[in-house]
Amino acid sequence: MTNRNRELIYLTVAGVLTGVGFASVYIARKSEISAASLTYAAFFFALYLVAHLVARYTVPHADPYLLPIAALLTAVGLTEIYRLGPSDAFKQGLWVVIGVAVFAVALLGLRRDYRLLENYKYLFGLGAIALLFMPLLPVIGQTINGSRLWVHVGGLQFQPGELGKIALIVFLAAYLREKREVLAQGRLKDWGPLLVIWGGAMLVLFATGDLGSALLYYGIFLALLYAATARVAYVAVAIGLFLAGSIVVYKGTPHVRERVTNWLHPWTTHPVYCPFSGTQALRQDCASYQEVQSLYSIGHGGFGGTGLGQGTFTSSSGRQIIPYLNTDFIYSALAQELGLIGAAALLMVYMVFVLRGFRVSLFAADGFSKLLAAGLTFGFALQTFIIVGGILRVIPLTGITLPLVSYGGSSIISNFIVVAGLMLVSNRANADVEGAR
Amino acid sequence: MILASTTYETVLLVLKLAFLVLLYLFIWRIVRTAGRDLRLPQESFILSPALAGGGIAQTVDSGRLVVVQSSILEVGEEFDLDSTALTVGRGAQNDVSIEGDEFASARHVRVEPRRDGVWVSDAGSTNGTFVNGVRIDRPRKLVQGDVVRVGETELRFET
Repeated sequence: MTNRNRELIYLTVAGVLTGVGFASVYIARKSEISAASLTYAAFFFALYLVAHLVARYTVPHADPYLLPIAALLTAVGLTEIYRLGPSDAFKQGLWVVIGVAVFAVALLGLRRDYRLLENYKYLFGLGAIALLFMPLLPVIGQTINGSRLWVHVGGLQFQPGELGKIALIVFLAAYLREKREVLAQGRLKDWGPLLVIWGGAMLVLFATGDLGSALLYYGIFLALLYAATARVAYVAVAIGLFLAGSIVVYKGTPHVRERVTNWLHPWTTHPVYCPFSGTQALRQDCASYQEVQSLYSIGHGGFGGTGLGQGTFTSSSGRQIIPYLNTDFIYSALAQELGLIGAAALLMVYMVFVLRGFRVSLFAADGFSKLLAAGLTFGFALQTFIIVGGILRVIPLTGITLPLVSYGGSSIISNFIVVAGLMLVSNRANADVEGAR
Repeated sequence: MILASTTYETVLLVLKLAFLVLLYLFIWRIVRTAGRDLRLPQESFILSPALAGGGIAQTVDSGRLVVVQSSILEVGEEFDLDSTALTVGRGAQNDVSIEGDEFASARHVRVEPRRDGVWVSDAGSTNGTFVNGVRIDRPRKLVQGDVVRVGETELRFET
Protein backbone atom coordinates (compact mmCIF):
# COMPACT_ATOMS: atom_id res chain seq x y z
CA MET A 1 0.00 0.00 0.00
CA THR A 2 1.29 3.44 -0.78
CA ASN A 3 1.86 5.96 1.96
CA ARG A 4 -0.98 8.19 0.77
CA ASN A 5 -3.57 5.41 0.66
CA ARG A 6 -2.58 4.47 4.16
CA GLU A 7 -2.99 8.09 5.18
CA LEU A 8 -6.51 8.10 3.75
CA ILE A 9 -7.47 5.02 5.77
CA TYR A 10 -6.22 6.48 9.02
CA LEU A 11 -7.91 9.79 8.23
CA THR A 12 -11.17 7.91 7.81
CA VAL A 13 -10.71 6.32 11.22
CA ALA A 14 -10.04 9.78 12.69
CA GLY A 15 -13.20 10.99 10.93
CA VAL A 16 -15.29 8.18 12.44
CA LEU A 17 -13.84 9.00 15.87
CA THR A 18 -14.87 12.61 15.43
CA GLY A 19 -18.38 11.46 14.50
CA VAL A 20 -18.64 9.24 17.58
CA GLY A 21 -17.37 12.05 19.81
CA PHE A 22 -19.81 14.61 18.46
CA ALA A 23 -22.69 12.14 18.60
CA SER A 24 -21.94 11.48 22.25
CA VAL A 25 -21.81 15.19 23.07
CA TYR A 26 -25.01 15.76 21.11
CA ILE A 27 -27.00 12.97 22.79
CA ALA A 28 -25.79 13.89 26.26
CA ARG A 29 -26.54 17.58 25.85
CA LYS A 30 -29.55 17.49 23.54
CA SER A 31 -31.35 20.00 25.67
CA GLU A 32 -28.74 22.64 24.92
CA ILE A 33 -27.45 22.00 21.42
CA SER A 34 -28.89 21.14 18.05
CA ALA A 35 -28.36 18.25 15.69
CA ALA A 36 -26.40 20.66 13.53
CA SER A 37 -23.41 19.71 15.67
CA LEU A 38 -23.17 16.48 13.72
CA THR A 39 -22.35 18.42 10.59
CA TYR A 40 -19.15 19.47 12.34
CA ALA A 41 -17.79 15.95 12.03
CA ALA A 42 -18.63 15.75 8.33
CA PHE A 43 -17.24 19.18 7.62
CA PHE A 44 -14.11 18.31 9.52
CA PHE A 45 -13.58 15.13 7.56
CA ALA A 46 -14.02 17.04 4.28
CA LEU A 47 -11.44 19.58 5.40
CA TYR A 48 -8.85 16.91 6.10
CA LEU A 49 -9.68 15.25 2.82
CA VAL A 50 -8.60 18.48 1.12
CA ALA A 51 -5.38 18.48 3.15
CA HIS A 52 -4.86 14.86 2.11
CA LEU A 53 -5.30 15.70 -1.58
CA VAL A 54 -2.78 18.52 -1.30
CA ALA A 55 -0.37 16.07 0.34
CA ARG A 56 -1.01 13.55 -2.43
CA TYR A 57 -0.02 16.14 -5.02
CA THR A 58 2.90 17.80 -3.24
CA VAL A 59 4.51 15.24 -0.91
CA PRO A 60 3.56 11.76 -2.20
CA HIS A 61 6.27 9.98 -0.22
CA ALA A 62 5.73 11.71 3.13
CA ASP A 63 5.04 9.87 6.36
CA PRO A 64 1.42 8.63 6.29
CA TYR A 65 0.64 8.95 10.00
CA LEU A 66 1.43 12.59 10.75
CA LEU A 67 -1.68 14.09 9.14
CA PRO A 68 -4.15 11.56 10.64
CA ILE A 69 -2.67 12.08 14.10
CA ALA A 70 -2.95 15.85 13.70
CA ALA A 71 -6.54 15.37 12.50
CA LEU A 72 -7.35 13.19 15.49
CA LEU A 73 -5.89 15.67 17.97
CA THR A 74 -7.69 18.67 16.48
CA ALA A 75 -10.90 16.63 16.37
CA VAL A 76 -10.63 15.63 20.02
CA GLY A 77 -9.90 19.25 20.90
CA LEU A 78 -12.77 20.60 18.85
CA THR A 79 -15.19 18.06 20.33
CA GLU A 80 -14.26 19.08 23.85
CA ILE A 81 -14.31 22.80 23.03
CA TYR A 82 -17.72 22.31 21.44
CA ARG A 83 -18.92 20.55 24.53
CA LEU A 84 -17.70 23.39 26.74
CA GLY A 85 -19.06 26.18 24.57
CA PRO A 86 -20.45 25.87 21.03
CA SER A 87 -19.61 29.48 20.15
CA ASP A 88 -15.91 28.96 20.88
CA ALA A 89 -15.99 25.79 18.81
CA PHE A 90 -17.16 27.75 15.80
CA LYS A 91 -14.16 30.09 16.11
CA GLN A 92 -11.83 27.16 16.71
CA GLY A 93 -13.26 25.48 13.62
CA LEU A 94 -12.38 28.59 11.63
CA TRP A 95 -8.84 28.50 13.01
CA VAL A 96 -8.49 24.87 11.99
CA VAL A 97 -9.59 25.84 8.47
CA ILE A 98 -6.94 28.56 8.43
CA GLY A 99 -4.43 26.09 9.89
CA VAL A 100 -5.10 23.60 7.11
CA ALA A 101 -4.82 26.41 4.56
CA VAL A 102 -1.42 27.41 5.97
CA PHE A 103 -0.43 23.73 5.90
CA ALA A 104 -1.42 23.51 2.22
CA VAL A 105 0.40 26.73 1.31
CA ALA A 106 3.54 25.54 3.10
CA LEU A 107 3.48 22.23 1.22
CA LEU A 108 2.80 23.88 -2.14
CA GLY A 109 5.38 26.61 -1.66
CA LEU A 110 8.20 24.44 -0.41
CA ARG A 111 7.55 21.19 -2.24
CA ARG A 112 10.52 21.61 -4.58
CA ASP A 113 13.12 22.19 -1.92
CA TYR A 114 12.41 23.31 1.62
CA ARG A 115 16.16 23.45 2.19
CA LEU A 116 16.12 26.87 0.56
CA LEU A 117 15.08 28.07 4.02
CA GLU A 118 18.62 27.38 5.12
CA ASN A 119 19.79 30.37 3.07
CA TYR A 120 17.61 32.74 5.06
CA LYS A 121 18.67 31.57 8.49
CA TYR A 122 19.55 34.97 9.94
CA LEU A 123 16.24 36.33 8.71
CA PHE A 124 14.55 33.58 10.69
CA GLY A 125 16.71 34.32 13.73
CA LEU A 126 15.82 38.01 13.65
CA GLY A 127 12.22 37.14 12.84
CA ALA A 128 12.01 34.96 15.93
CA ILE A 129 13.19 37.84 18.12
CA ALA A 130 10.90 40.35 16.41
CA LEU A 131 7.92 38.07 16.95
CA LEU A 132 8.82 37.67 20.59
CA PHE A 133 9.20 41.43 21.00
CA MET A 134 5.83 42.27 19.44
CA PRO A 135 3.71 41.88 22.58
CA LEU A 136 5.99 44.32 24.42
CA LEU A 137 5.18 47.10 21.96
CA PRO A 138 2.76 49.74 23.20
CA VAL A 139 -0.76 49.96 21.71
CA ILE A 140 -0.86 46.52 20.11
CA GLY A 141 0.65 44.57 23.03
CA GLN A 142 -1.71 43.16 25.63
CA THR A 143 -1.28 41.67 29.07
CA ILE A 144 -3.57 38.77 29.88
CA ASN A 145 -3.34 36.79 33.10
CA GLY A 146 0.00 38.28 34.21
CA SER A 147 1.82 37.49 30.98
CA ARG A 148 2.37 39.97 28.20
CA LEU A 149 2.29 37.70 25.17
CA TRP A 150 -0.64 38.85 23.13
CA VAL A 151 -0.88 41.16 20.18
CA HIS A 152 -4.16 42.87 19.50
CA VAL A 153 -4.77 44.18 15.99
CA GLY A 154 -8.27 45.15 15.00
CA GLY A 155 -10.57 42.52 16.46
CA LEU A 156 -7.92 39.81 16.29
CA GLN A 157 -5.79 38.54 19.12
CA PHE A 158 -2.61 36.74 18.35
CA GLN A 159 0.26 35.13 20.22
CA PRO A 160 3.28 35.82 18.02
CA GLY A 161 5.52 33.73 20.26
CA GLU A 162 3.96 30.57 18.84
CA LEU A 163 5.27 31.43 15.38
CA GLY A 164 8.51 32.67 16.90
CA LYS A 165 9.09 29.12 18.07
CA ILE A 166 9.07 27.81 14.49
CA ALA A 167 11.35 30.61 13.27
CA LEU A 168 13.78 29.84 16.07
CA ILE A 169 13.86 26.15 15.19
CA VAL A 170 14.59 26.91 11.52
CA PHE A 171 17.36 29.32 12.50
CA LEU A 172 18.93 26.92 14.99
CA ALA A 173 18.79 24.00 12.57
CA ALA A 174 20.45 25.99 9.78
CA TYR A 175 23.02 27.69 11.97
CA LEU A 176 24.01 24.58 13.90
CA ARG A 177 24.25 22.54 10.71
CA GLU A 178 26.76 25.01 9.32
CA LYS A 179 28.77 25.58 12.47
CA ARG A 180 28.52 22.29 14.29
CA GLU A 181 32.10 21.24 13.76
CA VAL A 182 33.57 24.52 14.95
CA LEU A 183 31.07 24.67 17.79
CA ALA A 184 32.11 21.21 18.90
CA GLN A 185 35.65 22.55 19.20
CA GLY A 186 34.43 25.38 21.38
CA ARG A 187 35.80 28.54 19.71
CA LEU A 188 34.16 31.54 21.34
CA LYS A 189 33.87 33.59 18.14
CA ASP A 190 31.52 31.09 16.50
CA TRP A 191 29.24 31.17 19.51
CA GLY A 192 28.62 34.88 19.01
CA PRO A 193 25.50 35.00 16.83
CA LEU A 194 24.00 32.06 18.67
CA LEU A 195 24.46 33.68 22.06
CA VAL A 196 23.21 37.06 20.85
CA ILE A 197 20.02 35.63 19.41
CA TRP A 198 19.60 33.34 22.36
CA GLY A 199 20.25 36.06 24.94
CA GLY A 200 17.79 38.34 23.15
CA ALA A 201 15.12 35.66 23.19
CA MET A 202 15.68 35.00 26.88
CA LEU A 203 15.49 38.69 27.79
CA VAL A 204 12.24 39.12 25.95
CA LEU A 205 10.80 36.10 27.62
CA PHE A 206 11.66 37.29 31.09
CA ALA A 207 10.23 40.69 30.20
CA THR A 208 6.95 39.11 29.09
CA GLY A 209 6.79 36.85 32.15
CA ASP A 210 5.93 33.84 30.04
CA LEU A 211 7.74 31.03 31.80
CA GLY A 212 6.26 28.11 29.92
CA SER A 213 7.61 29.47 26.66
CA ALA A 214 10.98 30.29 28.23
CA LEU A 215 11.31 26.67 29.28
CA LEU A 216 10.17 25.51 25.85
CA TYR A 217 12.68 27.67 23.96
CA TYR A 218 15.51 26.72 26.24
CA GLY A 219 14.68 23.04 25.85
CA ILE A 220 14.60 23.28 22.05
CA PHE A 221 17.91 25.13 22.05
CA LEU A 222 19.55 22.49 24.23
CA ALA A 223 18.15 19.54 22.29
CA LEU A 224 19.36 20.93 18.97
CA LEU A 225 22.74 21.88 20.38
CA TYR A 226 23.18 18.35 21.60
CA ALA A 227 21.94 16.80 18.37
CA ALA A 228 24.40 18.93 16.38
CA THR A 229 27.51 18.61 18.54
CA ALA A 230 26.97 15.41 20.56
CA ARG A 231 28.72 17.11 23.48
CA VAL A 232 27.17 16.14 26.81
CA ALA A 233 29.31 18.78 28.50
CA TYR A 234 27.37 21.57 26.77
CA VAL A 235 24.09 20.16 27.96
CA ALA A 236 25.45 19.89 31.50
CA VAL A 237 26.69 23.49 31.46
CA ALA A 238 23.40 24.72 29.98
CA ILE A 239 21.35 22.89 32.59
CA GLY A 240 23.58 24.39 35.28
CA LEU A 241 22.97 27.85 33.80
CA PHE A 242 19.26 27.15 33.68
CA LEU A 243 19.18 26.15 37.35
CA ALA A 244 21.16 29.24 38.35
CA GLY A 245 18.82 31.39 36.27
CA SER A 246 15.78 29.73 37.79
CA ILE A 247 16.97 30.53 41.30
CA VAL A 248 17.52 34.18 40.36
CA VAL A 249 14.09 34.37 38.75
CA TYR A 250 12.52 32.58 41.70
CA LYS A 251 14.00 35.08 44.15
CA GLY A 252 13.32 38.09 41.95
CA THR A 253 9.79 37.55 40.64
CA PRO A 254 6.78 37.12 42.96
CA HIS A 255 4.84 35.72 39.98
CA VAL A 256 7.20 32.75 39.79
CA ARG A 257 7.42 32.24 43.56
CA GLU A 258 3.66 32.00 43.67
CA ARG A 259 3.62 29.37 40.93
CA VAL A 260 6.15 27.21 42.77
CA THR A 261 4.27 27.50 46.06
CA ASN A 262 1.02 26.52 44.36
CA TRP A 263 2.78 23.55 42.88
CA LEU A 264 4.37 22.26 46.09
CA HIS A 265 1.62 23.15 48.54
CA PRO A 266 -1.70 23.60 46.75
CA TRP A 267 -3.71 22.77 49.87
CA THR A 268 -3.48 24.52 53.23
CA THR A 269 -5.30 23.68 56.44
CA HIS A 270 -5.25 27.21 57.81
CA PRO A 271 -5.96 30.51 56.04
CA VAL A 272 -3.00 32.20 54.34
CA TYR A 273 -2.67 35.60 52.70
CA CYS A 274 -4.57 35.73 49.43
CA PRO A 275 -2.97 38.04 46.85
CA PHE A 276 -6.17 38.41 44.82
CA SER A 277 -8.54 39.63 47.50
CA GLY A 278 -5.94 40.84 50.00
CA THR A 279 -7.60 38.87 52.77
CA GLN A 280 -6.89 35.57 54.53
CA ALA A 281 -8.16 32.43 52.83
CA LEU A 282 -7.31 28.79 52.33
CA ARG A 283 -4.91 28.53 49.40
CA GLN A 284 -7.13 26.07 47.53
CA ASP A 285 -9.84 28.73 47.57
CA CYS A 286 -7.52 31.42 46.28
CA ALA A 287 -4.10 31.20 44.60
CA SER A 288 -4.13 27.49 43.75
CA TYR A 289 -7.87 27.33 43.07
CA GLN A 290 -7.41 26.54 39.38
CA GLU A 291 -4.91 23.73 39.93
CA VAL A 292 -6.90 22.15 42.73
CA GLN A 293 -10.21 22.27 40.87
CA SER A 294 -8.47 20.78 37.85
CA LEU A 295 -7.18 17.90 39.99
CA TYR A 296 -10.70 17.31 41.33
CA SER A 297 -11.93 17.32 37.74
CA ILE A 298 -9.40 14.66 36.75
CA GLY A 299 -10.21 12.63 39.85
CA HIS A 300 -13.92 12.76 39.09
CA GLY A 301 -13.29 11.03 35.78
CA GLY A 302 -11.92 7.87 37.39
CA PHE A 303 -10.79 5.03 35.14
CA GLY A 304 -13.42 5.11 32.43
CA GLY A 305 -14.44 8.77 32.53
CA THR A 306 -17.89 10.23 32.57
CA GLY A 307 -18.24 9.96 28.80
CA LEU A 308 -18.05 12.85 26.34
CA GLY A 309 -20.65 15.46 27.12
CA GLN A 310 -21.42 14.14 30.58
CA GLY A 311 -18.69 15.68 32.71
CA THR A 312 -19.28 18.34 35.35
CA PHE A 313 -17.67 21.67 34.60
CA THR A 314 -20.14 24.11 36.01
CA SER A 315 -21.24 24.65 39.59
CA SER A 316 -24.91 24.37 40.53
CA SER A 317 -25.27 28.08 39.82
CA GLY A 318 -24.17 27.49 36.21
CA ARG A 319 -20.82 29.22 36.58
CA GLN A 320 -17.79 27.53 34.97
CA ILE A 321 -15.66 26.10 37.78
CA ILE A 322 -12.21 26.20 36.20
CA PRO A 323 -11.11 29.39 34.44
CA TYR A 324 -9.29 28.92 31.10
CA LEU A 325 -10.74 25.44 30.81
CA ASN A 326 -10.61 25.23 27.03
CA THR A 327 -7.05 26.58 26.64
CA ASP A 328 -4.60 25.78 29.43
CA PHE A 329 -6.79 23.25 31.22
CA ILE A 330 -8.33 21.34 28.34
CA TYR A 331 -6.40 18.26 29.34
CA SER A 332 -8.12 18.11 32.72
CA ALA A 333 -11.53 18.48 31.02
CA LEU A 334 -10.65 15.62 28.67
CA ALA A 335 -9.31 13.54 31.56
CA GLN A 336 -12.66 13.86 33.32
CA GLU A 337 -14.77 12.87 30.33
CA LEU A 338 -12.45 10.18 28.90
CA GLY A 339 -11.10 8.90 32.22
CA LEU A 340 -7.63 7.55 32.90
CA ILE A 341 -8.00 5.17 29.96
CA GLY A 342 -8.77 7.97 27.51
CA ALA A 343 -6.34 10.49 28.99
CA ALA A 344 -3.55 7.91 28.75
CA ALA A 345 -4.56 7.15 25.16
CA LEU A 346 -4.33 10.84 24.35
CA LEU A 347 -0.79 10.96 25.69
CA MET A 348 0.01 7.89 23.62
CA VAL A 349 -1.27 9.65 20.51
CA TYR A 350 1.22 12.44 21.26
CA MET A 351 3.95 9.85 21.77
CA VAL A 352 3.18 8.20 18.45
CA PHE A 353 3.42 11.59 16.75
CA VAL A 354 6.79 12.21 18.40
CA LEU A 355 7.92 8.71 17.44
CA ARG A 356 7.09 9.41 13.78
CA GLY A 357 8.78 12.80 14.00
CA PHE A 358 12.05 11.39 15.27
CA ARG A 359 11.85 8.67 12.65
CA VAL A 360 11.64 11.40 10.01
CA SER A 361 14.79 12.90 11.50
CA LEU A 362 16.58 9.53 11.38
CA PHE A 363 15.74 9.02 7.73
CA ALA A 364 16.64 12.52 6.58
CA ALA A 365 19.83 12.54 4.54
CA ASP A 366 21.35 15.94 5.30
CA GLY A 367 22.16 17.74 8.51
CA PHE A 368 19.71 20.62 8.12
CA SER A 369 16.77 18.27 7.53
CA LYS A 370 17.77 16.10 10.45
CA LEU A 371 18.04 19.02 12.83
CA LEU A 372 14.87 20.64 11.52
CA ALA A 373 12.81 17.48 12.00
CA ALA A 374 14.35 16.79 15.41
CA GLY A 375 13.75 20.39 16.52
CA LEU A 376 10.13 20.52 15.38
CA THR A 377 9.40 17.16 17.00
CA PHE A 378 11.17 17.98 20.22
CA GLY A 379 9.39 21.32 20.52
CA PHE A 380 6.06 19.60 20.05
CA ALA A 381 6.91 16.95 22.66
CA LEU A 382 8.27 19.40 25.21
CA GLN A 383 5.26 21.71 24.89
CA THR A 384 2.95 18.78 25.58
CA PHE A 385 5.05 17.77 28.56
CA ILE A 386 5.11 21.29 30.01
CA ILE A 387 1.35 21.73 30.00
CA VAL A 388 0.32 18.16 30.86
CA GLY A 389 3.08 17.95 33.49
CA GLY A 390 1.83 21.24 34.92
CA ILE A 391 -1.75 20.04 35.13
CA LEU A 392 -0.76 16.71 36.69
CA ARG A 393 1.58 18.46 39.18
CA VAL A 394 4.79 16.93 37.86
CA ILE A 395 6.26 20.42 37.34
CA PRO A 396 4.99 23.91 38.29
CA LEU A 397 2.05 24.95 36.15
CA THR A 398 2.72 27.44 33.38
CA GLY A 399 0.10 28.60 30.96
CA ILE A 400 0.88 27.15 27.55
CA THR A 401 -1.35 25.46 25.01
CA LEU A 402 -1.73 21.73 24.47
CA PRO A 403 -0.59 21.36 20.82
CA LEU A 404 -3.48 21.02 18.35
CA VAL A 405 -6.05 20.41 21.10
CA SER A 406 -6.28 23.69 23.04
CA TYR A 407 -8.48 26.53 21.94
CA GLY A 408 -6.41 29.24 20.23
CA GLY A 409 -5.58 30.31 16.72
CA SER A 410 -1.85 30.98 16.98
CA SER A 411 -1.22 27.60 18.51
CA ILE A 412 -3.25 25.75 15.88
CA ILE A 413 -1.53 27.55 13.00
CA SER A 414 1.99 27.08 14.32
CA ASN A 415 1.41 23.39 14.98
CA PHE A 416 0.08 22.89 11.47
CA ILE A 417 3.36 24.39 10.27
CA VAL A 418 5.16 21.79 12.39
CA VAL A 419 3.18 19.02 10.68
CA ALA A 420 3.87 20.52 7.25
CA GLY A 421 7.59 20.79 8.03
CA LEU A 422 7.84 17.17 9.14
CA MET A 423 5.95 16.00 6.06
CA LEU A 424 8.23 17.95 3.74
CA VAL A 425 11.35 16.49 5.35
CA SER A 426 9.99 12.94 5.32
CA ASN A 427 8.85 13.28 1.71
CA ARG A 428 12.39 14.04 0.59
CA ALA A 429 13.95 11.36 2.76
CA ASN A 430 11.53 8.65 1.65
CA ALA A 431 11.77 9.69 -2.00
CA ASP A 432 15.55 9.31 -1.84
CA VAL A 433 15.26 5.87 -0.28
CA GLU A 434 12.77 4.77 -2.93
CA GLY A 435 14.81 6.32 -5.72
CA ALA A 436 17.89 4.41 -4.63
CA ARG A 437 16.16 1.05 -4.88
CA MET B 1 -40.22 6.70 30.45
CA ILE B 2 -37.92 4.43 32.42
CA LEU B 3 -37.24 2.44 29.27
CA ALA B 4 -36.38 5.61 27.35
CA SER B 5 -33.91 6.66 30.00
CA THR B 6 -32.23 3.24 29.94
CA THR B 7 -31.79 3.23 26.17
CA TYR B 8 -30.41 6.73 26.41
CA GLU B 9 -27.85 5.59 28.98
CA THR B 10 -26.99 2.54 26.89
CA VAL B 11 -26.44 4.57 23.76
CA LEU B 12 -24.09 6.89 25.63
CA LEU B 13 -22.21 3.94 27.11
CA VAL B 14 -21.86 2.36 23.68
CA LEU B 15 -20.58 5.64 22.21
CA LYS B 16 -18.09 6.03 25.05
CA LEU B 17 -16.76 2.51 24.57
CA ALA B 18 -16.67 2.92 20.79
CA PHE B 19 -14.66 6.12 21.17
CA LEU B 20 -12.09 4.54 23.48
CA VAL B 21 -11.82 1.33 21.48
CA LEU B 22 -11.32 3.22 18.22
CA LEU B 23 -8.73 5.45 19.86
CA TYR B 24 -6.72 2.48 21.06
CA LEU B 25 -7.10 0.70 17.75
CA PHE B 26 -5.75 3.78 15.97
CA ILE B 27 -2.70 3.90 18.25
CA TRP B 28 -2.09 0.15 18.15
CA ARG B 29 -2.19 0.01 14.35
CA ILE B 30 0.30 2.84 13.97
CA VAL B 31 2.69 1.45 16.56
CA ARG B 32 2.48 -1.99 14.96
CA THR B 33 3.34 -0.75 11.48
CA ALA B 34 6.01 1.49 12.94
CA GLY B 35 7.56 -1.59 14.54
CA ARG B 36 7.92 -3.18 11.14
CA ASP B 37 10.23 -0.63 9.61
CA LEU B 38 12.93 -0.78 12.21
CA ARG B 39 15.62 -0.96 9.55
CA LEU B 40 16.69 2.58 10.28
CA PRO B 41 19.59 4.13 8.45
CA GLN B 42 20.93 5.45 11.72
CA GLU B 43 20.32 4.67 15.39
CA SER B 44 20.32 8.23 16.65
CA PHE B 45 19.26 11.59 15.31
CA ILE B 46 22.48 13.09 16.57
CA LEU B 47 24.57 14.25 13.64
CA SER B 48 27.36 11.72 13.16
CA PRO B 49 28.92 11.97 16.63
CA ALA B 50 32.32 10.71 15.52
CA LEU B 51 32.66 13.73 13.27
CA ALA B 52 31.45 16.30 15.70
CA GLY B 53 33.67 14.86 18.41
CA GLY B 54 35.67 18.05 18.73
CA GLY B 55 39.32 19.06 18.74
CA ILE B 56 40.77 16.40 16.56
CA ALA B 57 39.39 16.84 13.10
CA GLN B 58 38.38 13.40 11.95
CA THR B 59 37.54 13.87 8.34
CA VAL B 60 36.25 11.07 6.24
CA ASP B 61 37.70 10.89 2.80
CA SER B 62 34.71 10.44 0.55
CA GLY B 63 36.47 11.44 -2.64
CA ARG B 64 36.91 14.72 -4.45
CA LEU B 65 35.69 16.82 -7.33
CA VAL B 66 38.25 17.76 -9.97
CA VAL B 67 37.65 20.68 -12.30
CA VAL B 68 37.63 19.45 -15.89
CA GLN B 69 36.40 22.51 -17.67
CA SER B 70 35.61 25.98 -16.41
CA SER B 71 35.86 29.61 -17.33
CA ILE B 72 36.43 30.65 -13.72
CA LEU B 73 38.12 27.83 -11.83
CA GLU B 74 41.50 26.50 -12.75
CA VAL B 75 41.37 23.19 -14.60
CA GLY B 76 42.72 20.45 -12.34
CA GLU B 77 41.76 22.20 -9.14
CA GLU B 78 40.43 19.74 -6.54
CA PHE B 79 37.69 20.03 -3.95
CA ASP B 80 37.82 17.40 -1.24
CA LEU B 81 34.60 15.92 0.06
CA ASP B 82 34.50 15.17 3.75
CA SER B 83 31.46 14.52 5.89
CA THR B 84 29.37 17.53 4.96
CA ALA B 85 27.60 18.40 1.77
CA LEU B 86 29.38 20.52 -0.80
CA THR B 87 27.36 23.13 -2.65
CA VAL B 88 28.20 24.46 -6.07
CA GLY B 89 26.73 27.64 -7.47
CA ARG B 90 27.22 31.22 -8.57
CA GLY B 91 26.76 32.69 -5.09
CA ALA B 92 29.75 33.39 -2.86
CA GLN B 93 28.24 31.34 -0.03
CA ASN B 94 28.82 28.10 -1.92
CA ASP B 95 31.67 25.77 -1.09
CA VAL B 96 32.56 25.79 -4.75
CA SER B 97 31.77 29.29 -5.96
CA ILE B 98 31.64 29.76 -9.71
CA GLU B 99 30.87 33.44 -9.76
CA GLY B 100 30.68 34.59 -13.35
CA ASP B 101 29.33 31.39 -14.82
CA GLU B 102 26.26 32.92 -16.45
CA PHE B 103 24.47 29.61 -16.83
CA ALA B 104 24.73 28.55 -13.21
CA SER B 105 22.17 29.37 -10.54
CA ALA B 106 23.04 31.07 -7.26
CA ARG B 107 22.77 27.74 -5.52
CA HIS B 108 22.92 25.11 -8.15
CA VAL B 109 23.82 21.67 -6.93
CA ARG B 110 24.66 19.75 -3.77
CA VAL B 111 27.13 16.91 -3.59
CA GLU B 112 26.60 15.01 -0.37
CA PRO B 113 28.43 12.04 1.03
CA ARG B 114 26.04 9.58 2.60
CA ARG B 115 26.49 6.16 4.13
CA ASP B 116 26.17 4.38 0.85
CA GLY B 117 28.24 6.72 -1.28
CA VAL B 118 28.32 10.22 -2.68
CA TRP B 119 25.05 11.60 -4.02
CA VAL B 120 24.48 14.54 -6.27
CA SER B 121 21.20 16.47 -6.21
CA ASP B 122 20.02 19.55 -8.02
CA ALA B 123 19.25 22.40 -5.63
CA GLY B 124 16.45 23.82 -7.73
CA SER B 125 18.59 25.36 -10.46
CA THR B 126 17.22 27.05 -13.56
CA ASN B 127 19.29 25.27 -16.17
CA GLY B 128 19.58 21.91 -14.49
CA THR B 129 22.46 19.67 -13.53
CA PHE B 130 23.88 17.07 -15.87
CA VAL B 131 25.71 13.90 -14.96
CA ASN B 132 27.62 12.45 -17.91
CA GLY B 133 25.50 14.62 -20.16
CA VAL B 134 22.14 13.47 -18.82
CA ARG B 135 19.98 15.92 -16.92
CA ILE B 136 19.09 14.62 -13.46
CA ASP B 137 15.62 15.00 -12.01
CA ARG B 138 16.24 13.19 -8.72
CA PRO B 139 19.29 12.60 -6.52
CA ARG B 140 21.79 10.29 -8.11
CA LYS B 141 24.68 8.31 -6.75
CA LEU B 142 28.06 9.16 -8.25
CA VAL B 143 30.62 6.62 -9.31
CA GLN B 144 34.29 7.12 -10.03
CA GLY B 145 34.78 9.20 -13.16
CA ASP B 146 31.28 10.68 -13.39
CA VAL B 147 31.29 14.19 -14.80
CA VAL B 148 28.90 16.69 -13.25
CA ARG B 149 28.10 19.75 -15.39
CA VAL B 150 26.86 22.90 -13.72
CA GLY B 151 26.28 25.78 -16.14
CA GLU B 152 29.52 25.87 -18.12
CA THR B 153 31.57 24.21 -15.43
CA GLU B 154 32.41 20.53 -15.45
CA LEU B 155 33.60 18.61 -12.43
CA ARG B 156 34.79 15.03 -12.36
CA PHE B 157 34.13 12.83 -9.34
CA GLU B 158 37.08 10.79 -8.18
CA THR B 159 37.47 8.46 -5.25
